Amino acid sequence: MNGPYSLGLTRRALITSLAATGLAGSLVAPAGAANLRVAAIDWAMLETALALGVTPVAATELKLFRRAAIEPAVPAEVADLGLRGEINAEMLLYARPELILSSPWYEKYRAQLERVAPVESFSIYEPGRSPYAAAEAASRALGARLSRAAEAEALVARADAALGERRARLAPFADRPFLMTNFGDIRHFRAFGADSLFADVLARLGLRSAWAGGSAYGAVASVGLEALAAMPEAWIVIVGPTPPDVLRSLNGSAFWRAMPQVAGGRVIDLGPVNPFGALPAALRFARLLDEALAGRDHA
Amino acid sequence: MREAGLRGWAPWLLLGLVAAALWAATLGRHLGAGLTPSSELDRLLLLYSLIPRAATALLAGAALGLAGALLQSALDNPLAEPATLGVSAGAQLALTLAALLAPGLGGLGREAAAFAGGAGAVAAVLALTWRRGLDPVSVVLTGMIVAMIASSLSAALILSQGEYLFALLIWGGGSLSQQSWGPAGAITAALALAALPAALLARPLGVIATGDAGARGLGAPVAAIRLAALGVGVALATTVAAEVGLIAFVGLAGPALARLSGARTTKAVLLASPAVGAMLLWLADGAVQSLPAGFDQIPTGAATALLGAPLMLRLLPRLKMADRPQRPVRASSRPAARTFAVLLALAALVLLAAVALGRAPDGWHAATGAGFAELWPFRWPRTAAAAAAGAMLGAAGVIVQRMTGNPLASPEVLGVSAGAGLGLAVVMLLATSTALPLRFAGSACGALAALVLMLAMSGARGVGAERFLLAGATLSALCLAALNAVIATASTRAFALLGWISGSTSAIGPDEALVACAAAVALALPLAFVGRWLDVLPLGAPVARSLGLGLQPARLALTALAALLAAAAALIVGPLSFVGLVAPHAAYASGLTRPSAHLAGGALNGAILMVTADLLARTVIFPYQLPLGLFASLLGGAYLVWLLRTR
Repeated sequence: MNGPYSLGLTRRALITSLAATGLAGSLVAPAGAANLRVAAIDWAMLETALALGVTPVAATELKLFRRAAIEPAVPAEVADLGLRGEINAEMLLYARPELILSSPWYEKYRAQLERVAPVESFSIYEPGRSPYAAAEAASRALGARLSRAAEAEALVARADAALGERRARLAPFADRPFLMTNFGDIRHFRAFGADSLFADVLARLGLRSAWAGGSAYGAVASVGLEALAAMPEAWIVIVGPTPPDVLRSLNGSAFWRAMPQVAGGRVIDLGPVNPFGALPAALRFARLLDEALAGRDHA
Repeated sequence: MREAGLRGWAPWLLLGLVAAALWAATLGRHLGAGLTPSSELDRLLLLYSLIPRAATALLAGAALGLAGALLQSALDNPLAEPATLGVSAGAQLALTLAALLAPGLGGLGREAAAFAGGAGAVAAVLALTWRRGLDPVSVVLTGMIVAMIASSLSAALILSQGEYLFALLIWGGGSLSQQSWGPAGAITAALALAALPAALLARPLGVIATGDAGARGLGAPVAAIRLAALGVGVALATTVAAEVGLIAFVGLAGPALARLSGARTTKAVLLASPAVGAMLLWLADGAVQSLPAGFDQIPTGAATALLGAPLMLRLLPRLKMADRPQRPVRASSRPAARTFAVLLALAALVLLAAVALGRAPDGWHAATGAGFAELWPFRWPRTAAAAAAGAMLGAAGVIVQRMTGNPLASPEVLGVSAGAGLGLAVVMLLATSTALPLRFAGSACGALAALVLMLAMSGARGVGAERFLLAGATLSALCLAALNAVIATASTRAFALLGWISGSTSAIGPDEALVACAAAVALALPLAFVGRWLDVLPLGAPVARSLGLGLQPARLALTALAALLAAAAALIVGPLSFVGLVAPHAAYASGLTRPSAHLAGGALNGAILMVTADLLARTVIFPYQLPLGLFASLLGGAYLVWLLRTR
C-alpha cells in the first residue's frame, strides 16, 4: 500500500509529507481557508469554485461535465468521483479534501461525506425562488468560506456588468419570446420553464421566456415537437448537448421546416450549457445567446 | 356459432367508438370545435402530427398484434409476445449500442440493428430452452430473464456514459408523438412485407396447432414453418421498437383478447389480432392525450400496460390455456451439511472480499491495517445492507415458491417487489415527509397487496402454474408501468424513484445498514418456526388440520412474512434484482430440499449473490459505480440462464 493513493496517513503525517514538498504552508496557514483542498459534489459549486480561482481536488461526473457544461474548463488533475447519483466515497477519501461543497440535492449523502471532511451545502434551485439571485448569494457565501470574498464580489459584479452590456445590445429582440429547449430525440424536447436559470437570465437581458406551461424544477420533460405550433412567434433556442443526428434529421423534417419559427429563421443552436449551473453557466448562456443573435434579424 | 362470434366482437365496436371519440376530442383541443384547420399552422399540425400520430398508433398496434399472434403460433405458447421473449429489450440494447458506437446511423441502419438485437435475443432464448423441448413456461421465463439482462445492460451503458434520464425515459416509455409520416411509413412497409408470409403461414401454422405429430403426418416441414413465423414476428416487433420505442403488452393482449372474442382458428387469430392490437393502442394513445396537463406527457407505452394489464387480469380466468404439469426441479443428492459448509465458506470469502478489496486510481488494493480502518466505515454499511437485502429476498423467494408450489415464482416475477415500489411511490407523492418508517410502511403495504392478490389467484380453482405466472408478470408490468408514468413527470420525486428502481446503495450509511440487518434478523427468526408449515401447506387442508395446524392462519402468517421481507429488501435494492428467484432455485438444486434447509440456503445464497454484485458494481468501471440493483440483475440473470441450461 505505497504510492500516491495509500491510505492510513493521519492528517499530521500528510502535512509532514507535504511539507517536504513545500506545500505545507498552504495547509497550516491559520486563516486556512485560502488554499483549502476542496471537493465539489454539486456542479454549480464546481463551476463557482473554479470561477473564484479555486481548483477542486475532486468533483463528480467530470466526463459529462466536460461535454455538457464545458465552461469553466476542469483541469485534468481533478479526480473524478463518478456519477452524481452514485458518488464514489472511496475516491473522495483518496482525494483528501478538507471541505466538501454540496447542495440539498445530495442531502442523503451528507453523513457519508461528513465522514471524509466537513460539508458545506449551498442551495440555488428551490421552488418559487430566482436561481440567479440565489447563485449570486451562493457565490458570495462560497467566497466567504474560501477566503475569496473579493473574488466573489468581483465575479458577481462582472456577471452583472456583462448582463447589463448584453441587455443593451439585445434590446431590439425584446418583442418576441424565447423558447428554451433541450432535444432528446427528433420528436421530443425538454422545455425550460419560468423557474429555470435560463428564464431568469433572459429576464435580466430584457427578454422573456415563451414557455407558459408549468414546470417542475425548471424543466418539463419530453414535450412533443408539435407543441411548437402553439407559440409561432417565438425564437427556438436549442441548448445542448444535442444527440448527434438530431439537428440533421430535424432539417430533413417537413413539419420542422414548416414551423413558423423555423421558416422565419428563428432557431438558435446554442451548444451545451449546464441548466442547473451557477453564475458561470448564466454568463456562458448570455454570451452564447448574444453571439448567436448578433447579426440576426430581430423582426 | 356465428351469432356468438358476432357478440364477441360487439365490445370492440364500442371500444373503437370510444377511441374515435377520444381522437375527435384531441383534434378539437388543437383545432377548435369545428375540427377544421383555420390556419396554415393548424393544417400542418393536422397533417404532420395529429393524423400521423393516430396512424402510427393504429399501425404499431396492428404490427404488435400480428407479431404476438405469429410468435404465439410459432412457439405454441400463449404467453409469447415481443416483451416476454426478450425481443423488445434485445432491440433496445442493440439500439443503445448503435447510438453509442455509431451515432450517425440512419433509419434503415437503426432498423437493421434493432432486428439483429431482437433476433439475437430470441435465438438465445430458444437455444437455452431447446433441450427442454421449448416448454412454454421455460421459454417465457428465459425470455423474461434475457429481457431483464438486456435492459439492465442498456441502462448500465447509458448510466456509464453519464447520460441521464431524458433519452432513457422516452425510450422506455414508447411515446407516439409524431411530426412526420416516417415511422408510420416504416411500419406500413413492415406490415405490407409481413402480410404475404403471414397469409401463407396461416394454414400450416393451423395444422401445427393440432400437434406436431399430425403436422409431420401431413408432410409439413414443422421446423421451417415455425422459424419463418418467428422471423416475421420478430421483424414486425423490432420495426416498432426502432420507430417508436418500447410498447409492451399489445402483442400479448391482441391475440389473447382476439381468442376471447371468439377467434378459434389460427387463421382467425392471425386476422383478428392486428385489428385488436390496433384498437388497443389507439385507445391507449387517445386516453393519454386526454389526461390533464402535467400528466399528458406520460408515454403511451406506459399507458398500454396500465390499460392492458387490468383487462388481462380480469379476463385471465376465461383464457383457454393448457396448464401443463410443472417439471420438478432436479435436486442434487449431496448431503445438506456439506452444501452448507460450502455456502458458509463462500459467504465468508465474499464478505471478506467486499470489505477488503477495492480499486484506487493506481490499481487494485487489498486493504490492510490503517488503510482498512479508514475504508471500513464506507464499505461495511453497503456490504451489510446488500447482504441483508439478498438474504431477505432469498427467504421471501423460498416462501413464495413453496407456498405456490411453483419453482419459478419469486417476489420479482409475481409483482411483489414492483408492488412495493408502487407503495413507495404513493408515499412519496402524497406524504410531506419521507422518513424511513413511512417509506417502509408504504412499500410493505404495496408488497402485501400484490402478494395477497397473487395468492388469491393461485388459490382460485382452475388457475394452473402458467396462468399464475402470467398473472404475476402482468401485475409486475402494471406496477412498473405506473412507476414509469410517475418518473416521466421528471420531478424531484421522480429522480428519487429512478434511483430506487435502479437499486442505488452508494448513499447507505451505518444507521440504514443496521436497520436493514435488524429487519433481516427480525423477519428471518420467525422463519425458523415455520419450516413445518411449509412442509405441510402444499399437502392441503385435511392433512394440515390433522396435524393441528390451522391452514388459514398459517397461510396468512407466511404471506405477511414474505411480503415484509420483499418490501424491506426492495427498499434497498429496488424491484429488479432477480435474486429472489435465483437464490431459492440454487439452494434447492444444490440439495437443500427440506423447508428449513431450503430457507437457510436461500437466504445464504441471496446474501452471497448480492454482496458479490455490490463488490463488482463498485469496482468494474471505477471510479464510476453502477447501481447495485441493476448489477445484481445482470449477475442473477446470467446465473439463472446457466441454471436453466444445465438443468
